[in-house]
Amino acid sequence: MERRDFLQTLGALVCLSADGVRGPDWPVLAQPLLLMLLGHEAVRELGMQYRALVPQEDNRDLLRSTLPAPWHRSIAATIQQDFEAGRTVVLRGWILSVTEARQCALFSML
Amino acid sequence: MHIDARSLPNGSLLEGDLCIVGAGAAGIAMALEWIGSKHTVLLLEGGGLDYEPAMQDLYRGKIVGLPYFPLEAARLHQFGGTTGHWAGFCSTFDAIDFEQRDWVPYSGWPLRREDLDPFYARAQPLLQLGPYDYAAARWQRRDPGLVPLPLDPTVVWTKMWQFSPPTRFGVVYRDAIFGAPNVQLYTHANVCEIVANEALTAVDGLRVRGHDGKEHRVRARQYVLACCSIQNARLLLASNRRATAGLGNAHDLVGRFFMEHLEIPSGHLGLETSRVPGMKMYAFTLGVTKARGELALHAGVQRARRILNGTVSLEPGTADEVAKSTFQSLNPQVLAAMRDSTEQGAPPPSADSTVVPPAPFYHLMTRQEQAPNPLSRVSLTTERDALGMPRAQLDWRLTDLDKRSFREFYGVLGREFGRSGLGRVQMLDWVTHTEPAWPSTLSGGWHHMGTTRMHDDPKRGVVNASCQLHGVANLSITGASVFPTAGAVNPTLTLVALTLRLSDHLRLKLG
Repeated sequence: MERRDFLQTLGALVCLSADGVRGPDWPVLAQPLLLMLLGHEAVRELGMQYRALVPQEDNRDLLRSTLPAPWHRSIAATIQQDFEAGRTVVLRGWILSVTEARQCALFSML
Repeated sequence: MHIDARSLPNGSLLEGDLCIVGAGAAGIAMALEWIGSKHTVLLLEGGGLDYEPAMQDLYRGKIVGLPYFPLEAARLHQFGGTTGHWAGFCSTFDAIDFEQRDWVPYSGWPLRREDLDPFYARAQPLLQLGPYDYAAARWQRRDPGLVPLPLDPTVVWTKMWQFSPPTRFGVVYRDAIFGAPNVQLYTHANVCEIVANEALTAVDGLRVRGHDGKEHRVRARQYVLACCSIQNARLLLASNRRATAGLGNAHDLVGRFFMEHLEIPSGHLGLETSRVPGMKMYAFTLGVTKARGELALHAGVQRARRILNGTVSLEPGTADEVAKSTFQSLNPQVLAAMRDSTEQGAPPPSADSTVVPPAPFYHLMTRQEQAPNPLSRVSLTTERDALGMPRAQLDWRLTDLDKRSFREFYGVLGREFGRSGLGRVQMLDWVTHTEPAWPSTLSGGWHHMGTTRMHDDPKRGVVNASCQLHGVANLSITGASVFPTAGAVNPTLTLVALTLRLSDHLRLKLG
C-alpha cells in the first residue's frame, strides 16, 4: 500500500472513531494483506459488492457482530479457517474468505 | 543419405525394410533408432530442408467450429518438422492422465505411466534435456534457488518442466541422418495415398507425388505414419481407393477426438511477498532456464472435483495489465535471439539469475487438457491441394467439462492460497461465468492430438496399444495423434517416448 493510501485509510478510521462508533474498529478492520495488495479503493469496492451481494448484511452493527472480537482470536486465524472450511465468496473475481469480505464491507462504510 | 525426390526419374520405385512418413520429431527420432542396423530405412519428408511456401501451402485447410490458428501456420512442413519453431517445453504426463476416469468420457490409455517411464528416460537426451527427473524436491537439491511455494501438496503441487534448448531436429540430427548408410532421407516426397491390399489387412505400398507432376511408388515391410495429427488423419481418410471411408476408418474414428491444450489467461495472483523468499522456481527465460515449476492440482482433488488435469504458470505482471502468453511476454532481445537460434540451431545467449525476487502480482496462465470429444474432428474438404490431395477441415469443439474444470481449478487454487496465507487469487470474468461461452482469448497451445487414438478395442480406437493400425499388420502410427487423452503438458516428450516404444516393437517384427 502506498503511503498516501495508508494515510487515507488511517484517516478514515480516525473519523470512524470520532463519529461515535462504539469500540475501536481498527483491529477488525485491519486486513493488511488485502490492503497491501489492492489498496483501499479496491478494498472499498469489494466491500460494496459484498453488501450488494448479501443485502441482509448491509448493516454496520450486524457486520461488526459477525466479525470475531479482536481479543478472542486473530483475524488471520479466522480467515484461514474460512478458507479451510470453504467459507469463501467471490468478489470482482477475487476468492476471499467470508470474514475478510465482511471486513471489506465494514470498511466500505467508513 | 539424402536424396531430393525431385531428382528421381518419374515412376521410381523406392524400396526398404522400414518406411517412415514424416521427418519431424517423431520421424527423425524413429530413424535415429535404426541407424547402423541391418535394415534399410526410408524416411520420407514432404517438404524440403528449409521453409518453402509451396510446401507449406499443402497444409492449408478449412476451419469450422471454434476459431483456430491457420492450419498452414500450425505445423512446419520441412525436414525437422515443427521442431523448427517450437519453444522446448517438456514434461511428463501424470499417472492419472493414463487412467480411465469415469468423469472424463473416452478417457484411459491401454498402458500406464510406468510402461512409458523407460521410454521417457530414453527420450530425454534426444530432446537435449537434463536427467529424467521431474521431482521438485530433487531439483531444489540441485539448485537451492528452486524453492516450491509452501502450499499443501495434497491439494496444489509444483509440477516440474524441463526445457529443451530447444532442439531443432532438422539441424541437430541432420548430419546423423545424412551420414547414415542405411537411412535414405527423401525430401519433397509427399505421400498422397496409402495403398492397401484387397483385404485391407496390409499395406502394399505408398504413392508419392511432387509439384513437378512426377509420381513414385514406395514399398517396405513396415510403414510408420509420423506426419502429425491432422496430416496422419488426412492421409488415412484420403486413402480410400479400397476402403471408401478411408483406411483404418471402419468404425468412423479416424480424424475424431482432435484435442488441443487450452492455454488461456485465467486469473491473477496477489502474492504475500514477505512470506516467499524467491520465485526462481516459477521463472522462465528462453534458452536459459533448465527447469521450472508450474502449479497443478493433486490427482485426488481432480477425482473429488471430477475435473480435467491442468497446470498454471506464473508470469509477473500487474492485475490491471492484459495477460500475455509466454511468448508475448518475452522481451524483444530474447525473441530476436530465439529467431537466430531457429536459423542457426544455437540457444540464445543469456545469463542465468540466481535470485528471482517475488513480485506482488502474477498473471495466471492456464494450460489444461481438453476432454476427448468425438465431435471435435478432422475431416476432408472437397477442395484439393496442388498435389491433388483433399484438404483438411478442422472442426474444433469443446465441452462443458472443459469450461467447468477451469472454474473448479481456480476455486481450489484460490482457497489454497488463502488458507496458506500466501496470497489471494482473482479469477477473470470468463472463468466465473457458468455459461458455456469461451472468451476471445481462447487459444490452443499449437498442440494437435488425438485423431488416430489408441485403444485395444478396434471399435474404440484406430491403433492398438503397440500403435499398430487395427487390422493392418504392417502399418503403425506415431506422434500425438495416438494420444487417447491430452494430458496437461506439452506433447513432444511423450510423443517421442511413444515413438521409441514403437521402434522397439518394430524391431521385434523386422528381426
